[in-house]
Amino acid sequence: MRYIPTTEKQKEEMLKEIGVSSFTDLLKDIPDSVLLKTDLNIPGPINEQKLTERIYDISKKNADFFSIKPLVGAGAYRHFIPEVVKTITAREEFYTSYTPYQPEISQGNLQSMFEYQTHIAKLTGMNVVVPSIYDGASATAEAVLMAMRLSKKNKILVSSLLHPHYLETVRTYTEPHKTEIITIPYKNILTNIENFEKNLTDDVAAFIIQSPNFLGGIENVSEFARIAHQKNILVIQVIAESLSSGILKSPGEADVDIVAGEAQSFGMDLNFGGPYNGYLASKMKYIRQIPGRIAGETTDKNGNRGFVMTFRAREQDIRREKATSNICSNHALNIVAGNVYLSLLGKRGLKSLADLNFKSAHYLRKKLLDTKAFSGPDYPFFNEFILKSDKKEETIDLLMKNGFVPPLDLSKFYPELEGYLLFAVTEIFTKKDLDFIAGLFSR
Amino acid sequence: MKLIYEKSVKGRIGFSIPEDSFDEISVDIPEYAKPHKEYDLPEVSEPDVVRHFTKLSKLNYGVDDGLYPLGSCTMKYNPKINEKLANLDNFLYAHPFAPERYVQGSLQIMFELGELLNEITGMDKFSMMPAAGAHGELTGVLMIRKYFESKGKPRHKMIIPDSAHGTNPASSAMAGFRVVEVKSNERGGVDISELEKIMDEDTAGLMLTNPNTVGLFDENILKIADIVHSKGGLLYYDGANLNALLGIVRPGDAGFDVLHLNLHKTFSTPHGGGGPGAGVVGAKKELIEFLPSPIVCKNEKGYFFEFPKNSIGRVRAFYGNFSVLVKAYAWILSMGPQGLREAAETSIINANYVLAKLKDYYKPAYDRTCMHECVLTGKEYKKYGVKTLDISKRLMDYGFHPPTIYFPHFEPYAEETIMIEPPESESKETLDSFIKAMIKISKEARTKPELLKEAPHSTPVGRLDEVKAVKNPKLHY
Repeated sequence: MRYIPTTEKQKEEMLKEIGVSSFTDLLKDIPDSVLLKTDLNIPGPINEQKLTERIYDISKKNADFFSIKPLVGAGAYRHFIPEVVKTITAREEFYTSYTPYQPEISQGNLQSMFEYQTHIAKLTGMNVVVPSIYDGASATAEAVLMAMRLSKKNKILVSSLLHPHYLETVRTYTEPHKTEIITIPYKNILTNIENFEKNLTDDVAAFIIQSPNFLGGIENVSEFARIAHQKNILVIQVIAESLSSGILKSPGEADVDIVAGEAQSFGMDLNFGGPYNGYLASKMKYIRQIPGRIAGETTDKNGNRGFVMTFRAREQDIRREKATSNICSNHALNIVAGNVYLSLLGKRGLKSLADLNFKSAHYLRKKLLDTKAFSGPDYPFFNEFILKSDKKEETIDLLMKNGFVPPLDLSKFYPELEGYLLFAVTEIFTKKDLDFIAGLFSR
Repeated sequence: MKLIYEKSVKGRIGFSIPEDSFDEISVDIPEYAKPHKEYDLPEVSEPDVVRHFTKLSKLNYGVDDGLYPLGSCTMKYNPKINEKLANLDNFLYAHPFAPERYVQGSLQIMFELGELLNEITGMDKFSMMPAAGAHGELTGVLMIRKYFESKGKPRHKMIIPDSAHGTNPASSAMAGFRVVEVKSNERGGVDISELEKIMDEDTAGLMLTNPNTVGLFDENILKIADIVHSKGGLLYYDGANLNALLGIVRPGDAGFDVLHLNLHKTFSTPHGGGGPGAGVVGAKKELIEFLPSPIVCKNEKGYFFEFPKNSIGRVRAFYGNFSVLVKAYAWILSMGPQGLREAAETSIINANYVLAKLKDYYKPAYDRTCMHECVLTGKEYKKYGVKTLDISKRLMDYGFHPPTIYFPHFEPYAEETIMIEPPESESKETLDSFIKAMIKISKEARTKPELLKEAPHSTPVGRLDEVKAVKNPKLHY
């Protein structure tokens, strides 16, 4: 086997050094009744050439996704990824290394964590950043558990426009803790603030609001935070489309307490849903309750700057059942991806790209409305919007036939939105593409 | 080394913004969402970025640089072809909300990987959803929780050995269980008489890593399973150390009811500096209905998502760390049944070889033949003022990544531990040079202890002040 260097002759030498006469002598702790007596019934071994052909053939059973562009986002956005992101993340020093428990030979990862924490701190306006939780949904669930620990209360209010997968994840994570979850309905595709106020009682730990929300709507987070804070309720903002940070008010400026984000838009491929990269950010005063690895700056014995994992007393390998979370491995390589991506874009790039997404989404919506084949509510949105089609199935078919992944049929998640489709538009669509799409419906 | 922010020059950019103009769109973002504060990100060109990150990467040590003998981490070679196959366009650009008929290839990989893992572990159905080992543990213990609830008899305790990874008790606590610790005995396994005492009808089960973290296969496994099952409990298998058992033992045949596997350990997918991996969860028949939703199934028309009737729900968005699954699938097919067994055999021989060669210099926690990893201790060097930490730091000067240290920790057997896992992809020559370095260090500890206490001497930075990092927290630039 080409991945195993030891030869049969060497094995014999080694067994001799160990002081046993055969390999099976090393298995004497294992009860005979559980020892496998036959080979596993699996295919292989297949050689590298056949393996390549086989998996290439399987991949061909997928649609030609490079060419067919998605008109759907809903928590997974196709943005253009500069090649440099791949070049760097494909360096073995990054992708074949372990968690940086030995900082002297892990400064690459640790400094990259620190730089990325800086990017996210600037974009969120927060002082503490945990650069990797598995994804936006698990980060949201961790934020909820964190808020419950901080407040010692277990009732939470959740906007009904939180990504449905995120809400389901929150339900799974909180189920053992007898958490009461109240969903706040929406009105005009934004979270209903009157209903929110009505539900504000002293026993509420936190309010979770996604902005831009699941239907693309830009929420008035500042106003929700102002009201929530009058009752000492923690505010968690979820950001599933992180590119929006390029032009929207930061959670910090809106006085949010905890941010749970999904950074997939910062240099990660769609990959059928993962791996992406969640992050958590909070005000400094909450650092002892935030879960996950954090890099901090320090010095070595000669006074040189260096970085280590810090505030480790929160973590499972030290605190066991008293840890803030069980999280150990995260999605560290995607911290590097996000760091490279944001460094390439810089302030000007991120702002221009976010602005372009905003404008091109508004352009398509207007063009589609002009065709009269669609109708829909007016509301402030970022790069996703909903429209109603009276012939939903035909619309979806037409878009698929013309080489697009269709927008999301919302009736799956919101039965009252039967006929509505959730469109996403990013910079991968040129103006010509958008004109072509609208043209399909104008006759 | 400078931070990317310290290389910023006003006016530079490393990205080409698409030219389309949408000037006719006059819509603006609402007043309430307009920022009043400007954020600044670094302004650097593409070559600046490439040089910066290339330089950063050179401060890191990866498996491709040399031996990485971290115990219970299985830092084996990451095959290059698997990286390429996971990055095929049709996989990479697949949107998770694309219609099922557009993603038959992706679903096939997920389904077939599950079938392969069923055969390898003796389980009946896998969920590909969990993102990491600890995430898989949480999923598994939530399933156990739901299993008892669905019977109308919820249970509140989970037994965990003192040798277990910290994630086990942390996951159990997250799932609402009260953690009860069971001690290790003088042979390195679970203390059976203590287990008998604490196992009762309010205990949901036992989480066991086998081989455990001292590198020993629990010789009483059948008795343990019997004790847990006789009180109606379930047995959870932490798959962190499955590498030792490939083709030798199937956890499903040894009485385990639910398990997770770390695809980034046993199944060769890269660790990525701490992830992403995958912590897929396998269940025996009685527990399939509790798996996270959705799972991938197959009928005559093709592959599709199904929603188990008593599912614990989702533990994340979408379906799993797909690209990691492709790599694990490719590795299993490349190895085949003989290759898998050869991997286990070689890793066991490697660990015992290191143990045999080093036990006169570093006292083993348990002086017995081990499985795929061996646990030594650095206790005897305390009298020279040398800590286990110093030994591990000195190893860096010899060009090796240190083993896991101070874990496992339980008195009186496992103290000042050095946990060494030399996976099957390491050659005898590499092991010999590692052994030589360890022996040399043991001499240095006695004759030149200062050399160890000041180590490492040849790394980009010297020993770092971790206390200062907490006292004066600086968490961003």
